[in-house]
Amino acid sequence: MTPELHTIPGHRAVETLVAKLRRRQVVGSREAALETALVLRQVVSKARFSNIQQLIAVIREVGRRLAEAQPKEHSVGNTVRRVLHNVREEYNSATKGSAASSRNVYSISKFVLQGQPRKHTGGAAKSEARITLKENDPKDPDSFARALKPVLMEAIQDVLDELETVYDNVSKNAKDHIHSDEIILTIGHSKTVEAFLKSAGHYRNYTVIVAETAPSYQGHEMARSLSAAGISTFLVPDSSIFAIMSRVNKVILGAHAILANGGLFAISGSLVAATAARAHSTPVVVCAGQFKLTPLWNLYHEHGALDFADPSSVLGFEEGRLVERVDVVNPYYDYVGPELVDVFITNDGDHPPSSVYRLIKETYDDDDHEL
Amino acid sequence: MPPKSSSGKDKDITDEDEVLQAVILADSFNKRFKPLTVGKPRCLLPICNATLLDWTFESLALAGVQEIFVICRSYADQVKSAIRDSKWSKPSSGLKIVPIVTAKETFSPGDAMRDIYTHGIITSDFVLVTGDLVSNVRIDEVVRAHKERRRANPNALMTMVVKEGGAAHRTRSRGESGVFVLDPNTSECLHYEPVIGYPPTPLIKIPREILDEHPEVEIRNDLIDCSIDVCSVEVPSLFQDNFDYADIRRDFVYGVLTSDLLMKNIYCYVAKDGYAARVADTRSYDSVSKDILSRWTFPLVPDDNHPGGHAYEHLRGNKYIAKDNSVVLSRTCKVGNNTLIGSHTTIEANATVHASVIGQRCTIGPGAVLRNAYIFDDTHIGAGCVVEGSIVGARVRLGDRCSVPRGCLIADGVVIGEGAKLRKFERVSRKREALKAEQPEDADEEDEEEDSDLEEVEAHQDGAEEILGQGSNALIWPQGAPDDEEEELDERESYSNQRLMRIGDTASDLELSDEGSTTDEDDDASDTESSYSFRSRASSMTSASGGPSLSLNLSNLSDPSAHGASAIHTLSSAAAETEFRSEVAQSLERAFAEGHSVENAAVELKTLRMASNVPLRRVREAVVGAIVDRVPLVPGDPAAQRAEIAAFVRRWGPLIDQIGGVDPVETVEVLQYHCAQAGPRQGLFAQVLAALYQQDLVEEDDIRAWHLSAAARGEGLKPGSALAEGVRKCWAVGAKMIEQFDAESEEEESEEENEEESEDEQPAKPKTAAPAAGKPAARQASGSEEDSSEEESEEEGSEESAPAKQPSAAAATRGESAATSKTPRSSGDDDSEEESGTD
Repeated sequence: MTPELHTIPGHRAVETLVAKLRRRQVVGSREAALETALVLRQVVSKARFSNIQQLIAVIREVGRRLAEAQPKEHSVGNTVRRVLHNVREEYNSATKGSAASSRNVYSISKFVLQGQPRKHTGGAAKSEARITLKENDPKDPDSFARALKPVLMEAIQDVLDELETVYDNVSKNAKDHIHSDEIILTIGHSKTVEAFLKSAGHYRNYTVIVAETAPSYQGHEMARSLSAAGISTFLVPDSSIFAIMSRVNKVILGAHAILANGGLFAISGSLVAATAARAHSTPVVVCAGQFKLTPLWNLYHEHGALDFADPSSVLGFEEGRLVERVDVVNPYYDYVGPELVDVFITNDGDHPPSSVYRLIKETYDDDDHEL
Repeated sequence: MPPKSSSGKDKDITDEDEVLQAVILADSFNKRFKPLTVGKPRCLLPICNATLLDWTFESLALAGVQEIFVICRSYADQVKSAIRDSKWSKPSSGLKIVPIVTAKETFSPGDAMRDIYTHGIITSDFVLVTGDLVSNVRIDEVVRAHKERRRANPNALMTMVVKEGGAAHRTRSRGESGVFVLDPNTSECLHYEPVIGYPPTPLIKIPREILDEHPEVEIRNDLIDCSIDVCSVEVPSLFQDNFDYADIRRDFVYGVLTSDLLMKNIYCYVAKDGYAARVADTRSYDSVSKDILSRWTFPLVPDDNHPGGHAYEHLRGNKYIAKDNSVVLSRTCKVGNNTLIGSHTTIEANATVHASVIGQRCTIGPGAVLRNAYIFDDTHIGAGCVVEGSIVGARVRLGDRCSVPRGCLIADGVVIGEGAKLRKFERVSRKREALKAEQPEDADEEDEEEDSDLEEVEAHQDGAEEILGQGSNALIWPQGAPDDEEEELDERESYSNQRLMRIGDTASDLELSDEGSTTDEDDDASDTESSYSFRSRASSMTSASGGPSLSLNLSNLSDPSAHGASAIHTLSSAAAETEFRSEVAQSLERAFAEGHSVENAAVELKTLRMASNVPLRRVREAVVGAIVDRVPLVPGDPAAQRAEIAAFVRRWGPLIDQIGGVDPVETVEVLQYHCAQAGPRQGLFAQVLAALYQQDLVEEDDIRAWHLSAAARGEGLKPGSALAEGVRKCWAVGAKMIEQFDAESEEEESEEENEEESEDEQPAKPKTAAPAAGKPAARQASGSEEDSSEEESEEEGSEESAPAKQPSAAAATRGESAATSKTPRSSGDDDSEEESGTD
């Protein structure tokens, strides 16, 4: 059933991306997601298939390779799932019309989604332009692919567009979350949070405290960028997070991945900030694009999931004698549990941690959780 | 296509057409891993369950290298088939790997480089690495920096990648390393001195020119040499030219840096982030394994980008267990930190594994203890065995209750009987397999391999059975220092030095000065040491410019008597210089006597300089000295004397500039010092200088520059000594000459204004004896020298005023000299010019 990778057209691009992901030449969730979507578009545009199962199998195989290349970069798998979901949706709407959309299967979703203007417009429009599809046509095996490809490319383009506009969409409601004269604490240098804060800066006069985020010290960069944008910014050492928490109105975190249980992986130091916020009952807001939603539960809190980087930023390699005697661990991410988070702000609206699982169910198809 | 592809491949294709080439020296050219490398090349030994060659390929692929040449010698077929079967030879890897088999008589990296040259495969700058490299350094950045440097300076020959590690770092080889002398601003490697561990190297010598030419130098003994070199195209041809270069560092780098002929530069790239090290010996095998397990090589770690393609799960405490759920860990076994366990391995009840690497499909028996052990694939460790600090090859079977203490190397396929007790640092290999000629026992045992009794013929096989246990198929390799090692081994391969590179050997019984404590001893010792020999230090030092060593240099150069005082020379170099001096004197004498052409004489001098490796200044000193000494003296007739000098300098003066470099300022300085110490010929200084000036060998600006220099004033000399006196006198002469330059330029300015006066002067001009009538300045100079040569006695009185360069003071001197002058014509000349100039 599953095709061999080297028979897939465009496998060269896949291999290149696999190598880059393995070697961490592509880092950052959005970067990885974008590259994945581009490779998938290439694969789909070159793929030869005569029914939808063949196409799905090809995408899954490519996706499995990409996701295995870098299991810590969850957005790769998420993008593949998203593309699969969109492809199925397009196929369903092309063959059976929008009625068969998987969304209608769960009755409770209607209840939750009440009043949320989301994704309802597209289905009806496309069903107008229904194409007659013939699967497994023995005379012309390519006819199915020929007919379906334009809509599929469009579906993948949707994913790409969403990735490209994710910062704008996340931050469009920023002014509703940040009020004047508030003090915001953030940690790390998340592009999403940066865009969010800057967008709020257009409307509101507020103060940001940036923790410097050892050992990567991304906070330095963040503080520089924010103050360049005219936002009153303080840079504080990580150790003083707890001390200043009583003055902070809101903690805004970025995320590496949002898990199905409502927890998240975020840059190390986030857990400290979130726990301190909990102690002071300060709201914790997480800004992230939808592509970070990951169908993963982290039930046993696996150690390796946190992505341990090299120790050199903690203990210099030149400390010859110490290197032999000390085991240094340098986790790149913290796991912040759902009980510490108050709300997720995504490009798809605001959600409490408890409903993340629903979002994931809507965004991806259940059969794709294991690629 | 992806819009922004950052892979090295695409970038290289679009940005520059050149393919980035790399050369891997897959052979080690030594036997440090014996007997593990019996029947197998070193680059195919696994480290963390991937072969060294795979790690090397991955390191290069990271850098965007596209074409790799693998130079293999021993077991070339195995290397070739390993490359063929690996994932790297698939087209999707983007690498083109070409194995090249060199002749069996390739004995050193130098030979391999010559082979590369003969193959003519190198088309552009390339990366040269050894086949045992583990690195995540961005080599592409080094290559870019190298190419940039080459654009600015075509003499940039090579960039060596080094990593800061501290002198006592576990990954830094104790047995062989190097001291790098770097220019901290340009990171040019100014000098390289190989250092061996035993006998300890207490001193290194740094050529004085380095301190002379570079205001700031770093002397570093804390760098880990990663043996990643970005080489220019001409590197292989340099090896071809110098057939005796064997080692890349000790011979090539050292040779290039100390060569006067090549004028090539070598640079260092001190990798700030990233990791790079080579597995050069069993000790570094241990430390590199540990570095990989503790993630220093990130992202090149077992759970992320394992070069062998295995997947491992990373658990707390840097434990890596194969991901495919095929590992069987008994409920009661203990797996400690920093451990890697390959797939399909079984660890039975109560076994303890700590800081070890276990290959695939191994079984660790109940109650066995592994500590710092490296177990290759398909090995069985019996119940109750204890393996510590050792490397156990593939398909080995250790019987129950064996003891393998630290430092043991057990080759592939060995079977060791029950209850065997190996000694420390035991090396064991299979009897039968050993077909290779490198192994002395093999020859004996080819025939009677079954008959274990015959092994006792060899002394070291005594009690082998006792050690190896019943049913063993193994041979014990001799321990301890072999008696006949002196014959061909060089120091670094000597037994004691090798001990420093052995796994598990602390070598605490060897006396090593370079073990950290040296830094303290240094403080007491440094007083007695000369300024040139720095004790190799644990940390790097920086010597600032302008220190006493610089001025000492200059003042000592022409004064042999001062050598002893400052102890700048080591004895040997002093001897070499003396020899050189006499050689040069003879050569010049021949040239003068037989009337050689200047070119021929220059060639002879150049050769002499190369042969005895002395700085250019020495040659200059010799030539200038010879010219001054050879001028026939004409006492009492200054005009005739002047003519003699002019003729002589015309004939031989050009030689000064043909000896290899033009530095008129130094020429004047050398002349000054020579005249100053030459006693009777001191007076010739002015005349010779004038003659040089007329010959255009020295320009006015040079004289001024010399005059301003510290050495010209005699700084650093012992005040009151004869030399200092002479130097001061000569300097005063120079001062006067410069005055005349000043006067003349004023005169030229005033010429138009005072037409009458200049007309008065006109008739005076033809009277001057100077032959170069076209050069008014020369006329003046010659006049002034004559003066000064004759007014030695007066000068002593006027010296204080002379340096002030005040026209009035000088005029006073002039008047004095004119009064006592014995040659009315020339002094009259002077006077008339003086008038026209100062009016």
